Amino acid sequence: MTSTLKGITLKGSAELVAEFFSFGINSILYQRGIYPPESFTRVTQYDMSLQLTTDGKLKDYLTKVVAQLKEWLFDCTVQKLVLVITCLETNEVLERWQFDIEYGCGRRTKSIKTIQDEIRSVIRQITATVTFLPLLETACAFDLLVYTDKDLMVPEKWEESGPQIIDQSEEVRLRSFTTSIHKVNSMVAYKRTDSA
Amino acid sequence: MVLTLTTTSTTTIRQYTGGLKMDMEDNTTVFSTLKSFNSFISHPEPPKRHSEQPAGSANLQINYKRSMELLDAAERVQSKSQYIQLDQEKKQMELSHKRARFELEKVATDSARDLEREVDRNQDLLGRIKRLEEKVGDAAKNLSEQSGNNKVLRKNFDDLNKKVLERDVRLNTANQMISSLHDEIRELKQTVQNQDCTISTKNLEIQSLQEQLDLQRRRYQEMSQLCQSLQSAQSSCSEHVNKIKELERRLSLQEQDIALVRTMRSEVARVQDLDKEVRRLREDNAYLRESRENSSLLKEEVEGLRRKLERMEKTNEDLVNSELEKERLIEKLQAWENLGQSTGLNIRKPEDLSREVIQIQQREIALKEQNYTLSSRVRSVDRSQSQLQGEASQQRSKALEEQKKRETQDALVRRLQKRVLLLTKERDGMRSILESYDSELSHTDYSPQLSKRLREAEDILQKTQSHHLEMEGQLTKAQEESGTLKLQLQSVELELESVRKQQSSVAESNSGMVIEEVLLLRQKIEDVEGERQRLEEQNNILEMRLERHSLQGDYDPVKTRVLHLKMNPTNVAKQQRQQETEALREEVTRLREHLRSLKDAGPLALQDDPHTGSPGLGLSLPPSQEVLDLRKQMESSEMKNKRLKEVFQRKIQEFRTMCYVLTGYQLDVTTENQYRLSSVYAEQMDDSLLFKKGSSGIMQLMETEFSKTLGEMVALHLHHQKSIPAFLSAVTLDLFSRQTIF
Repeated sequence: MTSTLKGITLKGSAELVAEFFSFGINSILYQRGIYPPESFTRVTQYDMSLQLTTDGKLKDYLTKVVAQLKEWLFDCTVQKLVLVITCLETNEVLERWQFDIEYGCGRRTKSIKTIQDEIRSVIRQITATVTFLPLLETACAFDLLVYTDKDLMVPEKWEESGPQIIDQSEEVRLRSFTTSIHKVNSMVAYKRTDSA
Repeated sequence: MVLTLTTTSTTTIRQYTGGLKMDMEDNTTVFSTLKSFNSFISHPEPPKRHSEQPAGSANLQINYKRSMELLDAAERVQSKSQYIQLDQEKKQMELSHKRARFELEKVATDSARDLEREVDRNQDLLGRIKRLEEKVGDAAKNLSEQSGNNKVLRKNFDDLNKKVLERDVRLNTANQMISSLHDEIRELKQTVQNQDCTISTKNLEIQSLQEQLDLQRRRYQEMSQLCQSLQSAQSSCSEHVNKIKELERRLSLQEQDIALVRTMRSEVARVQDLDKEVRRLREDNAYLRESRENSSLLKEEVEGLRRKLERMEKTNEDLVNSELEKERLIEKLQAWENLGQSTGLNIRKPEDLSREVIQIQQREIALKEQNYTLSSRVRSVDRSQSQLQGEASQQRSKALEEQKKRETQDALVRRLQKRVLLLTKERDGMRSILESYDSELSHTDYSPQLSKRLREAEDILQKTQSHHLEMEGQLTKAQEESGTLKLQLQSVELELESVRKQQSSVAESNSGMVIEEVLLLRQKIEDVEGERQRLEEQNNILEMRLERHSLQGDYDPVKTRVLHLKMNPTNVAKQQRQQETEALREEVTRLREHLRSLKDAGPLALQDDPHTGSPGLGLSLPPSQEVLDLRKQMESSEMKNKRLKEVFQRKIQEFRTMCYVLTGYQLDVTTENQYRLSSVYAEQMDDSLLFKKGSSGIMQLMETEFSKTLGEMVALHLHHQKSIPAFLSAVTLDLFSRQTIF
């Protein structure tokens, strides 16, 4: 996967980041209850146990998106990945998990272990943020949006969409991790509950 | 001798008088005796005087006579004193008598009191005796009473004894009765035993009968079981019969179905046409779905475009705002650029400004340095001034001291001069004396001594003169020194004044030019700093906003694009939701139509169901027997209700008409607890009486127009007699009378 001699390559970094996204999205879906917890199974990754979905359709969708993301990460054309949670009844956006991607020079050599530790702390923080996020009481569905460069060619089966911004949102910045080639900043925005 | 006698007599008298101070009579007697005694003493004196010159022997006789007379007098005095003593003793005796009398009287009074007390006691005791006598009399009465009671009690006792005897007689008779009863009991026991035997025999009979009963019961149970089996057989038979009926019905239905099938076959021929139609409809459906999808896509595009529009509008606004800001900044820039022209400095770029500012700052620094140097100079000058002042004061003190010294020296000089004068005078005098001596005496060998002395004196003179000269020299020196010191002081004071003047002049000259520049520069610097801070704040705010927007997910549409998969879970979920809602709506409409059909059909659904089976429903429930039974029950109950209502109404109507006819009043219930009575003979339709039932259950008449005309009857029947029926009947009679008259 990665040449451990001199550090990370662009390809290896892209794979690491894509892997993080796939596990991160799975844990968000599990934590927020978008899919029933019975449809998840426990796996071990980054020295911790994470939940991975067993739903076939969902798995297909995620693999498609992650594969495309890997390509874009390799091309350094992707700027953000956003997981949007919408309420099905009212069609309004309730939560927005945004991952900003910044590109570095890759001079600093970082071992995979440190990168994995950083990823682990990010995922732990994602799990912890669930405590203060408002409950999703209605049936919700999620969508994955990718912010890319404008001059990119839109691949088949992909289409342009709006940014799905929440009105009256509260934003919380979470941890970030870097592979010295890619730096991923995470944040979560949720709709302000008017009762507060 | 006479005198001693008189003294002794007087002393005795005084002793006696001293012992009798209480009695005035004794004193008077004493005084009287004294008077007589004094008169006696004085009497012989004149003869004494007359007989001074005769011879001494006649004197002795006279003296002897006198002494005898005196002795007599003394004896008299003694006797008088004894008399007085006796008087005194008598008086003492009287006193003691009196005292004894007092005491006796006291004792008498005491004894009288004792007597009185004894008398009182006697009386008390007499009283007690009387009371005791009375008590004795009472006790005697009681005794007599008690004896009477005793007699009565004895009589009672005798009666009781008699009664006891009678009771004994009765007891004996009772005992005889008891014995007879015991005999009877024995006989009864025998009969009881006989009866027990009969009972035992009867029990045996009962047991046998019970066994027979059990047998009968068993037979009964068998018979009942047989009955139940018969009943079950009967029910099964009835069930079979029902099944047969059902099967017959099904047969009939099947025959009907066969008929249907025949008709269906005829319709099948039409199927092909229907198929074509179906295909066409499906194509239309697919086309419609595609168009719907397209429309949804278009809608999404429209939404995206709208959002783009909004964003564009926002960017436009931002553009406008930024242009405005740009204009403002350009104005500011121009103002800044114009600064160069306004201040007259060669300023075209902010670098020039900064350079100018730096120059100004440098100038300021230089000026400050100058200022500091000047101030340091001033301080040094002050210090020197203070030092000089100190020195001046010291010099002044020194000068004062020198003056004092000089004065002392002057005084010394004067004294010395005086001494010198004196000395010279002395010398002159000495010289003159010497000369005189010399002149007087011979010209001997005193001249060398004189000349030595002269020389010594001259030496001394010279020394003194030289000393004087030295002193004068020192004085002059001291004077010179004080003069120089004064000059120095004056010069230093002049310097100080000049320095002060310089300082003030310097200060004035500096403040004029430099301070203005400095103030201007400071103001400029403050303005620039203020603007810088404002710009920094704005910058911070804008950066915060930018970050916030980027956190929220905003993006620059010129550089970035947002993509997602077409078949994403949200879309899928939305589609599913729509489908579910549509399906639910269809079901809802279907169920509503079915309900309506069921309601409309009602009892006819039994027969018409296969024919009226609404096309497209696909649900034809055969109405069950329970439903039919329930419907029949419902109808029957409804009929019953209707009939009961009619009957009640009829009865009520009858009752009311009879009440009206018989009592003459029609009763209406207007509102709860309010009853209106209208009479048969009422003159007008509205004439009516209102009665209200109060909370306590009492009927009260309410005010109406008609009741106002019946005030008298109300007062009489309701208030006095408190009877409503009487009132009502009075009203009917009154109305009837009015009717018959008119």
